[in-house]
Amino acid sequence: MAARRTRSPARSKATREFVSEVEEILERLRADLADLADQRAGGELEPELANRLFRSAHSLKGLAGMFGFEGMSGLAHHLEDILDGLRMGRLAASAPALDLLEPAVELVASLLERAGSAKAQAGAAEEVARLVERIEAALHAGPAAARVAAPEIDERLLRALTEYEEHRLRESLRRGRWIHLVEASFEILSFEEGLADLTGAAREIGEVISTLPAPGEVPEAQIRFSLLVASDADAQALSTLLDHPTASIRCVHRGASDAPSERLEHSTHAAESAQRGAAERSASARAAGPQPDASESDPEDASVSPALDEPAREPSGELDSLKSISETVRVDIRKLDELMNLVGELVIQRGAIAAIAAQLLAEPASARFGRELGKLHKTLDRKLQELQAGVLEVRMVPLRQVFEKLSRVVRRLRRDSGKDVRLEIRGGDTELDKLIVEELADPLMHVVRNAFDHALEPPAERIAAGKPAEGTIRLEALQRGNHVVIQVADDGRGIDVDAVRSRAVACGLVAPDALLTRKETLDLIFQPGLSTSSEVTETSGRGVGMDVVRENVTALGGLVYLDSTRGAGTTISLTLPITLAIIQALTVGVADQRFAIPLTAVLETLLVGPEAIQRSEGREFLNLRGDALALRRLHAEFGLPAPAADARQAVVVVGLGDARAGLLVDRLEGQQDAVIKPILGPVRSVPGIAGATELGDRGTVLVLDVAALIEDAARRREAA
Amino acid sequence: MHHILIVEDSPTMRSLVVSALEELGAPVRITEAASGFEALRELPREAYDLIVTDINMPDINGLELVSFVKSNAAYRAIPLLIISTEGSERDRLKGLELGADAYLVKPFEPEVLRRTARDLLAKAQEE
Repeated sequence: MAARRTRSPARSKATREFVSEVEEILERLRADLADLADQRAGGELEPELANRLFRSAHSLKGLAGMFGFEGMSGLAHHLEDILDGLRMGRLAASAPALDLLEPAVELVASLLERAGSAKAQAGAAEEVARLVERIEAALHAGPAAARVAAPEIDERLLRALTEYEEHRLRESLRRGRWIHLVEASFEILSFEEGLADLTGAAREIGEVISTLPAPGEVPEAQIRFSLLVASDADAQALSTLLDHPTASIRCVHRGASDAPSERLEHSTHAAESAQRGAAERSASARAAGPQPDASESDPEDASVSPALDEPAREPSGELDSLKSISETVRVDIRKLDELMNLVGELVIQRGAIAAIAAQLLAEPASARFGRELGKLHKTLDRKLQELQAGVLEVRMVPLRQVFEKLSRVVRRLRRDSGKDVRLEIRGGDTELDKLIVEELADPLMHVVRNAFDHALEPPAERIAAGKPAEGTIRLEALQRGNHVVIQVADDGRGIDVDAVRSRAVACGLVAPDALLTRKETLDLIFQPGLSTSSEVTETSGRGVGMDVVRENVTALGGLVYLDSTRGAGTTISLTLPITLAIIQALTVGVADQRFAIPLTAVLETLLVGPEAIQRSEGREFLNLRGDALALRRLHAEFGLPAPAADARQAVVVVGLGDARAGLLVDRLEGQQDAVIKPILGPVRSVPGIAGATELGDRGTVLVLDVAALIEDAARRREAA
Repeated sequence: MHHILIVEDSPTMRSLVVSALEELGAPVRITEAASGFEALRELPREAYDLIVTDINMPDINGLELVSFVKSNAAYRAIPLLIISTEGSERDRLKGLELGADAYLVKPFEPEVLRRTARDLLAKAQEE
């Protein structure tokens, strides 16, 4: 846990903001690029997607420019060029330049990683220049889409359109769509919901090209919006969808086709019905509100009044998503950390109040105050628990974010390697503390890449083994009590235990004559410097091995297990705590010291006499309902005086996932809330200690790192 | 006291602009809007002396905001400065046609922003 908090070097607030925003933009770009790849394969591009991509690249260019990252800004500029070509229709969906988007985004990501070092930035300059050159060449060669003639639309409307909006307008005209001007007035302080409603309805049958605000009839209180809507449907069809008392629709350009929109069984004779609609409604339009721009002699003019016989429309998804934008707040995770620390300190104070209440209660003279204080303490306790749960809840995010990232990685690997692999994802809704989720991304990525590169065989080999040609990687998360288990399972060739062993012998990790169980041998994969595949591929080989995966997961208080069946596949399970910040702990005494053990890891406690402890090859065991439970004496672990040989001892049975161990202690003291704080200084790396915590009036105690103690116990047991 | 409305969807960029303008050399109060819609809601709440807006934003774009401000008698006199990443020359021209008082291309030096803001504020006071 200490490692987790010491990783970020001191950086200015502005730079941190910059890095985190660029990361967000990159995340958005990657997700949108994945969609773009799908849509390119399907042949039809959603115009808004290209525009969204363009906007991300544009923001990136601006930000990088402001912070003086010229390489990044230049690269973003070229990204923007490609995307501008795409959204403006100058580049076709098939243009080869689009293949350079992803490498450019990844290069930006790697530039960001190197942002701290000017030297590393300079080193990347050549890489940037090469990619830029390729983009320029590709853009030059890209097939240009035909331009269309300028439309016959009122200049007044065109003035506030951006170049892109102009392009969408021209494109709609070229496709023979109807262009409608929808106008409506709203109260200025609450316009968003009504406008979102109107926009959402218009989007059901068309594209909203622009949204232009103008002062309403009472300028201080009202605001009027003009929406330029392109659609295959006529004004009549549009009017049945729009439900706003002051909305009016005017056709500013008649569509070429009389075809009805797909979802409306309404009239097909556009002009006639629009005229009829206009005649029927123009009176209500004039009464309903200001519409200075609607020329009333226009036969296409149709206004909308709420139709009574129309069934109530379900709120559209569009509207929901707009609402969720305005109801979400971005919070710096460090602020949540601070909040969590504060809650932790309150929790500790609460403990002190309880102690005072107990003292007061013990004296007859003050017992009355003690009772009162006790009651107050109970109320405070309840509220504090709610507060604590609330703060924890805010920090929880679904694993889906990481899973989606992995799914994009697999998609790319699939494309680059031509290997046929299916990724099955389950349990993306499982939630974990944000920090844990972030720290998990790298280890999970590595495990998945390993499965893709090494575990899954080429199609021919699979077919020969009687398996389907397509390999499967299953990614699954499930909650188990206070832990989340994430499994990455493949149906590949499995791990060759003998090969692992001989390689470990060759590396000098084990003696040639060592006796190892199967599990122990598989466990060697987590040893630094051992990789079973001798070939190093571009995707998995570099740097991070399974040892780093284990190290990362252990730093989060978790455990990694590996199980593999030759020929059938490998499953790697990560067991992680749901949160890191506040834990319930069991305090135990050893000699004159106290330790805290996270309660989530405690399975049971028992008292045993010395005769119950069995010894085998220097290790101690307890027969726990027929199973041998490996024991560890905490006084021996931490160099404390041993208790009398005949003393009864307490055993705390701890477990994580399927692993168990028994910790021998002198006393069980009680259950407490503990806020884990990292330990800095010389004791930081003491194995078996996760951090320190304060316990009310009783000073600081050390928190045991159960994961480390169990693993160590398990290793000794296997060795025994 | 000058009251400045900053409309910019990028939080990083927004805080850069805010911190640049906080050192204007004259007392300032700054209101931040993260989108065009937010700006539309902020405008009637207070009297502003300067509006600084980006162009590329979700919901309504900066040009649409300029059009709104400059077509509204209540806000027309407020000087308006567009800050936008170097991009479409046409968009820039349009911003000025719609009545924006100045246009700054990102990246810019904080001092250039301050100078432009001071000029706009002084000009508005003269008028």
